[in-house]
Amino acid sequence: MTDRTPGPDPELALSVRDLKTYIYANNRCNRALDGVSFDIHRGKTLCIVGESGCGKSVTAASILQLLPELSRIEEGEIVYHGAEGPVNIERLKRNGRRMRAIRGKEIAMIFQDPMTALNPVYSIGFQIKEMLLYHTRLGKRARHAKAIDLLRSMGIPLPEKRVREYPHLYSGGMRQRAMIAIAMSCDPRILIADEPTTALDVTIQAQIFELMDTLKREQGTAIMLITHDMGVVAELADDVAVMYMGQIVEAGPVGQVLRNPLHPYTRALLESIPVLGRGKNQQIRAIPGQTPDPYDRPTGCQFAERCRYRVDACAEMPPETQVSSSHRVRCWRHREFMADAAE
Amino acid sequence: MSDVPLNPGDAVRSPPRPRTRRDAQFDRIRDREAARQGTKLRGGRFLSKFLNNRLAVVGLVIFASIILLSLAAPLIAQHDPKSPNLRAMLDPPSAEHWFGTDRTGRDIFARVLYGGRVSILVGLGSALLSALIGVVIGVYSGYVGGWLDWVAMRISEIFMSFPQIILVLLLVAILGQSLLNLIVIFTLTGWGGIYRMARARMLSIREEEYVQALRSFGLGPARIAYKHMLPNALGPIMVNITLSTAAFILQEAGLSFLGLGVPMSVPTWGNILNAAQDLRLLENAWWVWLPVGATISLFVLSVNFIGDGLRDATDPSQQG
Amino acid sequence: MLTYIARRLLTLIPMAIAISFLIYLGLDLTPGDAVSHMIPPDVIGTMDPERLDELRESLGLGKPFLVRYWIWITGVLQGDFGYSLAGGVQISKIFLDRLPATLELSCAALVISTILGSILGTISALTRGTFADQALTVVGMLGVSIPEFFFGLVAILVFALNLGWLPVGGRTLPGYDSFWDRLPHLIMPALVLSIMMTAGVMRYARSSMLDALSRDFIRTARSKGMPEWRVNLLHGFRVALTPVIVLIGFRLPVLIGGSVIIEQVFQWPGIGKEFLSAVRSQDYPLVMMVALFSVMAVLLASLIVDILTALIDPRVRLGD
Repeated sequence: MTDRTPGPDPELALSVRDLKTYIYANNRCNRALDGVSFDIHRGKTLCIVGESGCGKSVTAASILQLLPELSRIEEGEIVYHGAEGPVNIERLKRNGRRMRAIRGKEIAMIFQDPMTALNPVYSIGFQIKEMLLYHTRLGKRARHAKAIDLLRSMGIPLPEKRVREYPHLYSGGMRQRAMIAIAMSCDPRILIADEPTTALDVTIQAQIFELMDTLKREQGTAIMLITHDMGVVAELADDVAVMYMGQIVEAGPVGQVLRNPLHPYTRALLESIPVLGRGKNQQIRAIPGQTPDPYDRPTGCQFAERCRYRVDACAEMPPETQVSSSHRVRCWRHREFMADAAE
Repeated sequence: MSDVPLNPGDAVRSPPRPRTRRDAQFDRIRDREAARQGTKLRGGRFLSKFLNNRLAVVGLVIFASIILLSLAAPLIAQHDPKSPNLRAMLDPPSAEHWFGTDRTGRDIFARVLYGGRVSILVGLGSALLSALIGVVIGVYSGYVGGWLDWVAMRISEIFMSFPQIILVLLLVAILGQSLLNLIVIFTLTGWGGIYRMARARMLSIREEEYVQALRSFGLGPARIAYKHMLPNALGPIMVNITLSTAAFILQEAGLSFLGLGVPMSVPTWGNILNAAQDLRLLENAWWVWLPVGATISLFVLSVNFIGDGLRDATDPSQQG
Repeated sequence: MLTYIARRLLTLIPMAIAISFLIYLGLDLTPGDAVSHMIPPDVIGTMDPERLDELRESLGLGKPFLVRYWIWITGVLQGDFGYSLAGGVQISKIFLDRLPATLELSCAALVISTILGSILGTISALTRGTFADQALTVVGMLGVSIPEFFFGLVAILVFALNLGWLPVGGRTLPGYDSFWDRLPHLIMPALVLSIMMTAGVMRYARSSMLDALSRDFIRTARSKGMPEWRVNLLHGFRVALTPVIVLIGFRLPVLIGGSVIIEQVFQWPGIGKEFLSAVRSQDYPLVMMVALFSVMAVLLASLIVDILTALIDPRVRLGD
């Protein structure tokens, strides 16, 4: 661990550089992630947003190496900045000792569907204590007490009783709280949430997000939130990365990106959602066409086929361009859009 | 990408991830795709999946050759399978008798060929008959429900709570031993499984939208069930037919081995093996039991391989 | 839990009644009447025909079928199974004599195949796609394709006749009754009987394990940073176990059926062997009672399986 210059940002929790993850199911090669770069900072929320199949979940799975068996990280770096210096996660053995020491302890994850993410044959308490067993030195009683504490702090009533119950007795929202309790049990520096509320009711959704926001503020957890909902982004994100077909097409602080979208896809996403209070005459535009076949990707800009602003140059892949210190975009015509916005 | 500031932990050089057995496979796929030679899986997906399954193809070849050899028995065998030859009792294999002769001097090769005809007839015939009954009742009652469904379900439950061999032997004791009786008994005891399978498939297909649509067009239940829904259940039905063929051939062999199957005067694979109950023959005349035992095993194995291949090829949930 | 068991009983009891009714119908239609079921045949021969008629009258043989059924079934429930036609032995006595041997054999095979099958199936699932997995798959296929009596014959030839390690058959030698004396006799039949079921359990355990491993909670378990053995065994295997136990319950009839043939091959003095000679000599009362008994065993097994599943799966145990 030699010193690096310039000195690393002390708030930096994770940096991903040019990550390529391919999936090899059915004897085909799906280039699910094709050069993805982003940073996650402590006490901040990064939202990764995009349609289903754009590679959001693969990104999350790559970070913890929880990828399906028939897939691998091809290129790029995933660097975790922990208390003991940076670690190149992509170089660790998938289920090896060092990778396992990071999972749960340093980086924890909550999943989309709390109905299936918890094991039906073990009690909630067992599934929390399991985590404590591997990452803490707590004794049996202490683990039990801690499990109850965690459930209580997640707002689960009667935690002494609930800790012994099985997942099927929990409601969906309660299960997701229990899932968060598991994830937060070892005070991870990073929490990855893969569409944590998609399977839940809207009212429960707000409660879960509130809980996550509190964790961010009180414990300084870095949060990576994966979602397909622009509303959630506006609500929760500090930074946002918009993904399309395995690439980040635009990324930056949430204010800049939402107010000044520079990629046609970001614009289209923003135009496709109704805004509360703007009445029923507002213009909602659906994005035309469909995402391309992942096995037969266009060579140039992935969005070109569906893009209103397409020009000949789009037959070639545009580079990621830094438009401000923290805002970057992958589009040939972003300068024109910047000029539009400036007017 | 040059515009992206690169500041990651270059300094940390832990050794690269060790290569695993998957890596070579992945490289191959990636290189092939890079060379734009992606195999097209679209046309005839079922057939190509089945033919890609090496074991299934081997099974099909063995299955077809054993059936062809049995059918051509009169052309191939130089001896009559039933006529004893007292001058050639228990002869070991020779140019004259390829598989040797049995206790009464009958040519075992001829008996295996002719026996195959009966054994396969019993196995395949009973499987097809029980499939016919099971599917006809199962498809209709699965779609329509009602009293017919209730009655058929109860009857099949009763049949299926007997251990199959006990029920078969019970019926043999009542009906007596003959080739036809055996097929009838197998069909009676075997239709329940395929009926339940077909019925369960129908119950799930019934909820699909195209069925609702057909009903709204005013089509009759029989037409919807047999013409529109049945084709969608054919995959599992075919798998079931192959598996019950295998099971019936094993059962025929077992029964005949016990001397309770096809009458001993008719050569079948099981009847030939019956001789091996005599420990002296077992020890000293391997040709009496080994070739026929191997034939039965090979045939059943080939049927099972075909069934497995069919299952993989028709099951959309199994990929890769 | 109690209501759950009660509900299962409510479906099983009508089933048991229906089957006992059918069995009695069979008894009534086959040769030999109630008197010959109740009085040893050699005594009947010496009795004066008028006394016999009187007896028939007093037994209610002239009474309607349902009444006769009632008399018969209450007798059966009290342990009066009637007489075997051959030798006029009480059927209940035959059961008492022979049942322990059959239970010993089946339980041994059940234990062997359950343990071996689930271990091999789990290994196969965990090494999916490797040579070990493919080899196990082919071996499993051989296990279900080769007739079990053929396995038995080869085993006798190799281990008893050629190597002389194990006895050819039987359960004990006169004068040597302890468990350790009997064990060598048990090894071969139990292993051979368990082959087919081991193969079945293995296939099923493999697919059940693969299914469990593909569930979301496995990823959750992995995301906790636990070692692979804990992920695979505590989370994967534990969940895969339930369907395997259910399968074993369903396989019990196969085991009972298999033991009929295996008892014959190894001259094992159990119910199965007795059943076969009853079928051969058309000793209907004995045939029917064995059938009735085996069905009840199957129904009981399915009840036990249901209870076991409930114990394993909290969703059932805690009532839903």
